[in-house]
Amino acid sequence: MNRLQASPKYGLLITVLIWTLFPIYWMVIVATQTDLFADVSLFPRSVTWEHVISVFTEENYLGALINSFTVTAISLLIVLAFGLSCAYVLARRSFRVPLKKTLLIWILLVRVLPQITFALPLYILMNDVGLLSTKMPIVLAHILVNLPFVIWFMIAFFYHVPEEIEESARMDGASEFTIYYRVVLPLVVPGIAAISILSFMASWNEYLYSVIFIQRPSDFTIPLKLATLNSEQELTEWGKVAGGGLISMMPVLLAAIFMQKHLMNGLTAGAVKE
Amino acid sequence: MYSRRRFQWAMLAPVILLLIGLTVFPFIYTVSSSFTDHYYLAGDSKQFIGIANYKRLLQDQLFLQAIWNTVKFMLLAVSIETALGLAIALLVESMRRGKKVLRVSLLIPSLLPPVTVALIWQMMLSNHNGIINHLLGWFGAGPFNFLMDVNLAFRTILFIDIWQWTPFAFLLLYAALQAVPRSQYEAARVDGAGKLNIFTHITLPNIIPTLLLVILLRTIDTFRLFDKVNILTGGGPANSTMTVTQYIYRHGVFNLQVGYGAAASVIMVALVLAFTVFYIKRSIGGSEQDGHR
Amino acid sequence: MKKRMVALVSIVTAVSIMAGCQSSSSTSANEPTKLVIAARGGTHVTAMEAVKETFEQEHNAQIEILGLEAADLKQKVSLDSTSKNGAYDLIMADDPWMPEFGEAGIFANLSELGVEADADFEESSLALGKHPYETGDLYALPFAGNVQLFFYNKELLDKHSLSVPQTWEEVVNAANTIQASGDGAGYVIRGQQGNPIVSDFLPIFWAHGGQVFDDNWNAQLDSEAGRKALDTYINLLAAGVNYEQTDIVSSVSEGRAAMALGWPSWFISEGKASANYAPIPSKASASDAEASTGMIGNWMMGVAANSENKELAAKFLTFITSSESQKVMAQHGGVPTRKSVYLDSELSAKFEHFPVQLEALQNSVARPRTTKWSLVEEALGAELSAAIAGTKSIEDALASANHAINQIMQ
Repeated sequence: MNRLQASPKYGLLITVLIWTLFPIYWMVIVATQTDLFADVSLFPRSVTWEHVISVFTEENYLGALINSFTVTAISLLIVLAFGLSCAYVLARRSFRVPLKKTLLIWILLVRVLPQITFALPLYILMNDVGLLSTKMPIVLAHILVNLPFVIWFMIAFFYHVPEEIEESARMDGASEFTIYYRVVLPLVVPGIAAISILSFMASWNEYLYSVIFIQRPSDFTIPLKLATLNSEQELTEWGKVAGGGLISMMPVLLAAIFMQKHLMNGLTAGAVKE
Repeated sequence: MYSRRRFQWAMLAPVILLLIGLTVFPFIYTVSSSFTDHYYLAGDSKQFIGIANYKRLLQDQLFLQAIWNTVKFMLLAVSIETALGLAIALLVESMRRGKKVLRVSLLIPSLLPPVTVALIWQMMLSNHNGIINHLLGWFGAGPFNFLMDVNLAFRTILFIDIWQWTPFAFLLLYAALQAVPRSQYEAARVDGAGKLNIFTHITLPNIIPTLLLVILLRTIDTFRLFDKVNILTGGGPANSTMTVTQYIYRHGVFNLQVGYGAAASVIMVALVLAFTVFYIKRSIGGSEQDGHR
Repeated sequence: MKKRMVALVSIVTAVSIMAGCQSSSSTSANEPTKLVIAARGGTHVTAMEAVKETFEQEHNAQIEILGLEAADLKQKVSLDSTSKNGAYDLIMADDPWMPEFGEAGIFANLSELGVEADADFEESSLALGKHPYETGDLYALPFAGNVQLFFYNKELLDKHSLSVPQTWEEVVNAANTIQASGDGAGYVIRGQQGNPIVSDFLPIFWAHGGQVFDDNWNAQLDSEAGRKALDTYINLLAAGVNYEQTDIVSSVSEGRAAMALGWPSWFISEGKASANYAPIPSKASASDAEASTGMIGNWMMGVAANSENKELAAKFLTFITSSESQKVMAQHGGVPTRKSVYLDSELSAKFEHFPVQLEALQNSVARPRTTKWSLVEEALGAELSAAIAGTKSIEDALASANHAINQIMQ
């Protein structure tokens, strides 16, 4: 390829990069500058962390971070424990599950149908069972968000484990659970890693259920806290809001940088396996 | 065989129980309350009113507009995101170096929490302090009232969605491009095929399944558009950004007209099914036949 | 083998249940009792933060204030109200919500908790806290005595030698003059769909002699008054801009716009107003009859019926609405509801707007008292928004608003 052809291509690429990354850059600028709007400038003049710090000292952001991590971690554990075992049974033809097709469609529908359909009825039902003063409703909601996704994703991975391996273990007298736990699961670890990151992100970012289910300020998660910060119009302190935004995207960015391989595997698994 | 069956049900039971509790009950609840005048604060005094909610919905201009807005949004967002994503994927694929870094940098918007995305753009689009109006001001244009102008609000939300989700389309399509067997390209080049020819005869057929997947995933997600609208415009101005989810949220959750919101939910479910039924059929069929999804 | 699986499942379940219960753990004797207040965000929260410490020390309590935007506040409070042990102990409510909240039993009866209606509260404000309106039992006390005022930028008006308009006709003319001069926007409307546009439009509607309902709750928007008022409103937009709250305040304060309606707490903090203010013009043109146009927008506060600490919450309510607290809060952007605070010589020397505000409060109008006001507001807001966007004609918008509201009220 000669230079004449290459230069417009680089121009295009730079445009795309600016388009994609400028908004994020701008949030970092707003979060780290003092009195930015007195004299707007595209480039940083000095760096201050006062906004980021004030989010913690004035807004109990730490509590929200802990809540987000707790809810995310618990729901992820449950989703993995239950979702993997379900996916395994559904992926093996040797298990004769009656109404298997119905079950598969049902699980898929949960992913496809709009969440707003379930949200308020679920809330009312949880109220009837007396769960509202606990964290259970929001944990269950996060499970609902991720469960179908995990099952469908892992079914594909389990298919790729040759059944002969299981057969030979069975010959050796291993129990079904040992086969699943000791033989099959280790073989799909890359899949588990990928789906864990994706589920973690989906949980971390979840907003619709949170805004309906969480009332107690001590239970607020990061997206809810951030939306609340943002909507206090009388006090629109952009620096502080941007500081909160900056923190909200840190875990996701860290995952993207340090677990890139698993993340990419997860995101593209569906695409390439088609 | 007996223990095997027990094992099978033990493995499935938790998920089945969860699904019954979390989806079947709520769904039955939704359908049954859609025929009542259930108002959240009045609790138990709901009454059966037949299909009155559905009648009222179909006569409500606003609901019809919400459906139209949603469909319009879905069609525009999905086609633009897919096309742009493909273009960027082709561009990056043709690079000789730096593909890995590009891949992850270009992906970032899709990973961010939707609330953060809404906030970033609210900051950038604000009337006086927004950087976009400042930039436009340096070129002598504006200021624009992006989120409150009836001619701009819808396009602004659309633009933000494109910003956020084109990277996702790009990533999947880029992965698909890399999976196209090199030998096919070489064979075509030996035959003296032109660039366009190679694209339409080799690249495109190879990535069609991924292209469809991207379209379907984005269709499902754009149809339930909520976060950005709820935070940035609340459905206004003049309902120009009212989506179906936002409509259900306004009536069912915010105004607590549970019955009415439920009826709207049922209609939305029917619409979503209409758009995705062939996807579901194909997924199930696929898993039965060859063990792929 | 199965044991291990059972163990795994039970551990996971146990962990999740423990996490679930954690938020409802009981407090021991020495730990402070926590009171959670669901509040309207902004200056109200700042004001409460400024005084809460005294109470916390006296009663070994910890006050947590959740500041929300009005729409979110209403949604959260309503959703939580059916829970057996509520998330909130005290609740702030915009006064038009009172009939709906009163009917739904969201507030605890204050007389039963030993809180008495104090004659020092401005009567029009106190009436809002009773259910039914004015005559019933006391369920909430007036927390912030907001009443809409007319805000203007004096320099901009002076520059064009305009005096403060007394009629809406004069407002439109002044706005046109300023807009045409290119010095700034003539008038700022707050035209977001929903509560904002309705609050911004109703005073103009009232000034034109309109009423949302007649005595039998029939909608009266599709009327001569309605058409004239909406025409005026659209003319105001033509001579200005459509902003949201933050931009309204900054543009009028900084002289980029001349006039707007607003609430005192937006513009006035620590006794200094960033723009000049006057009562809202009360008639359409000089020859018309005067109408009351100062919309009352009080924030009420009551004890949640499903609170677990009703007695302590009631004590806090008495504390926060006392004249001592209101005097301190006034320095932090609080808006008093007690006559004695408005008339306090020391304070009114410091806060020049107090007389104007008390007068406006005494002549204020409340929005129609119906449990369905939120729905009415939603319907009216949608049509007004369509009218100013030009997607519907004035006649069409008002006719559909009338129709929709009548359907709601059935």
